[in-house]
Amino acid sequence: MSELSVNHLLGIKYLNSQDIQLIFETADHFKEVINRPIKKVPSLRDITIANLFFENSTRTRLSFELAEKRLSADVINFSAAQSSVKKGETLIDTVNNILSMKVDMVVMRHPNPGAGVFLSKHVNASIVNAGDGAHEHPTQALLDSYSIRERLGSVEGKNVVIVGDILHSRVALSNIFALQLQGANVMVCGPKTLLPKYIDKLGVKVETDLRKALNWCDVANMLRVQNERMDISYFPSTREYTQQYGVNKALLDSLDKEITIMHPGPINRGVEITSDVADSKQAIILDQVQNGVAVRMAVIYLLASKIKH
Amino acid sequence: MTLLIKSATIVDSKSDFHNQTVDILIEDGKISQISETIENTKNYEELTLENLHVSQGWFDSSVSFGEPGYEDRETITNGLKTAALSGFTDVAVNSNTDPVIDCNTDISFLKAKSFGNAVNLYPVGALTRNSEGVDLAELYDMQNAGAVAFYDYQKPISNPNLVKIALQYAGNFGGLVLSFPQESKITGLGVMNEHITSTSLGLKGNPALAEELQIARDLFILEYTEGKLHIPTISTAKSVDLIRKAKAKNLNVTCSVAVHNLVFSDESLVGFDTNFKVLPPLRTQEDIDALIEGLKDGTIDMVTSDHNPLDIEHKKVEFDHAQYGTTGLESAFGALNSTFTTKKAVELLTKGKDRFGIENHPIKVGETACITLFNPDDTYTFSSEDIIATSKNSCFVDHKLKGKAYGIFANNQLVIK
Repeated sequence: MSELSVNHLLGIKYLNSQDIQLIFETADHFKEVINRPIKKVPSLRDITIANLFFENSTRTRLSFELAEKRLSADVINFSAAQSSVKKGETLIDTVNNILSMKVDMVVMRHPNPGAGVFLSKHVNASIVNAGDGAHEHPTQALLDSYSIRERLGSVEGKNVVIVGDILHSRVALSNIFALQLQGANVMVCGPKTLLPKYIDKLGVKVETDLRKALNWCDVANMLRVQNERMDISYFPSTREYTQQYGVNKALLDSLDKEITIMHPGPINRGVEITSDVADSKQAIILDQVQNGVAVRMAVIYLLASKIKH
Repeated sequence: MTLLIKSATIVDSKSDFHNQTVDILIEDGKISQISETIENTKNYEELTLENLHVSQGWFDSSVSFGEPGYEDRETITNGLKTAALSGFTDVAVNSNTDPVIDCNTDISFLKAKSFGNAVNLYPVGALTRNSEGVDLAELYDMQNAGAVAFYDYQKPISNPNLVKIALQYAGNFGGLVLSFPQESKITGLGVMNEHITSTSLGLKGNPALAEELQIARDLFILEYTEGKLHIPTISTAKSVDLIRKAKAKNLNVTCSVAVHNLVFSDESLVGFDTNFKVLPPLRTQEDIDALIEGLKDGTIDMVTSDHNPLDIEHKKVEFDHAQYGTTGLESAFGALNSTFTTKKAVELLTKGKDRFGIENHPIKVGETACITLFNPDDTYTFSSEDIIATSKNSCFVDHKLKGKAYGIFANNQLVIK
């Protein structure tokens, strides 16, 4: 198989395992490219991509922009703060206005779940979801799995726990779908207030005791507590959260085995993980960032190749 | 007018001709003759329709039109036309307009605007001023002007003392109080049913608990006040159970369910289609089964289409931003008749009248003719062309239905497609 089963990347739930395999094999190639002295390929010289960020982002936006530029695409950037959105323009109108300038692909981050799906039904462009509310963040999940594959050889059969604010996390959801597609065992761990009530029905294990979770897993993906998405305090204080769900070196060293620590960033050092854990050799946080560019290059390349057809 | 309806099967257990195919002669708005065959000796206007069935006129206890204020969504004139062509002779119209219908002049406006129409429009006044949930509106005055009930449409009353006072006060003059079953603090920012579908879509969940808690609260208050309570549009299995137990205690409570909550589960939302964004939200199949059971055993008293036309600007947007509501008058009978027997579907569309103080007109000689004309066997896929409402936000589009109304005869007028 040499092409994706989809025309947009709206979420992992719309992919199959062959798609993920293809993205990873393509990313292997691009990872080699971005480590060359000349880090650029001319693949997408005729493609124009709009990065539409209706929500703040630093690393995802930079990672996408870099991926697009490494592929020689023309890139325009847009953020809601400078736009007509504040003046009441609808999402469809905003995007159609941009598309009328002959844009081929839209990379969009948006605060509302399903915004990418909505857009894909109403505008004529290939859509890449760069995070839609608490729904999905597919490229993050792909780069996370890619990084596990790189560190542990494969994802299949591995025990992966996602720790923290599952309730507000698009990263958690996309990771659950991606890991399950590849045959990993998935657990979520956090205070009950931050775990969706019916999360077990997605086929994941649920644990509220961090030590038990870490003892079970091969990989722990530590999520940030998303205070900005909370309408009420889901726990009394950061201090108390850290006491129960923060990973420190002493805790890691007390486990029976050496587990891999991941984090999608940005890290709240001293909250979900301490600095000595973030900077330890068990952590692959910076590998994730580097792999992010290669994986996003792969996604954009594969979707763009479908446009040309 | 005089009309001879030919070869119509009567579906009305209160009629002597129930289940019989007969001719019906209507003169000056009253049924003057029912017989196996009526000779057309005086050159009456004749009505012959394929597989024609007739029943008492149907009633919908929760319809929103938009006028005054939101005429772009729906006008009263076209709203009543929609009702008539969908088989409804009587509609209770909600107060969710701009301004909110919360005083006797507003009620009088609706009555005047619908005067002379084939369909009877019964205004539902707001329970509180401007539906703000703070102070009671002038309920007695509105009732005298023609309001049949009091309801802040889909706005939960967060203050339990206000529910207590409303039930006590309206009890003085037999007023019917409606309390929307939702505890807002539990709902939070929830936009769909909290379950596996909301989890996998990343949409904030509105838990069944929010509805059940409010119903439990209101039933306690009802027991204390001995008022007259109607709980509109319940949607969960436990809600059915709570009301079943309350009825066993002889509390003066009734409830309704929206047709779409009987047909679609929350899984319909997997494509983020905002036409399925309704309040109360679509629940699980387990809830649907319990609601149907509740209708069968009489726990749930009536069904409503909860018809709520919304313009495209409020629907063709991101899911979180879309307004709640679907149109439903046009599809109500077809959906019910696909789930229940025709007899039961008709019963569910007529028996709510008593609770709202609306007169029944059995199909009998000497009675006022207030009749719905329909074909229960017409099977079709509901499409946007079947929508008569100004706004086209129906969650039934592309859904298979069985049964379609031809129209009505009421107030001495025939309205058919």
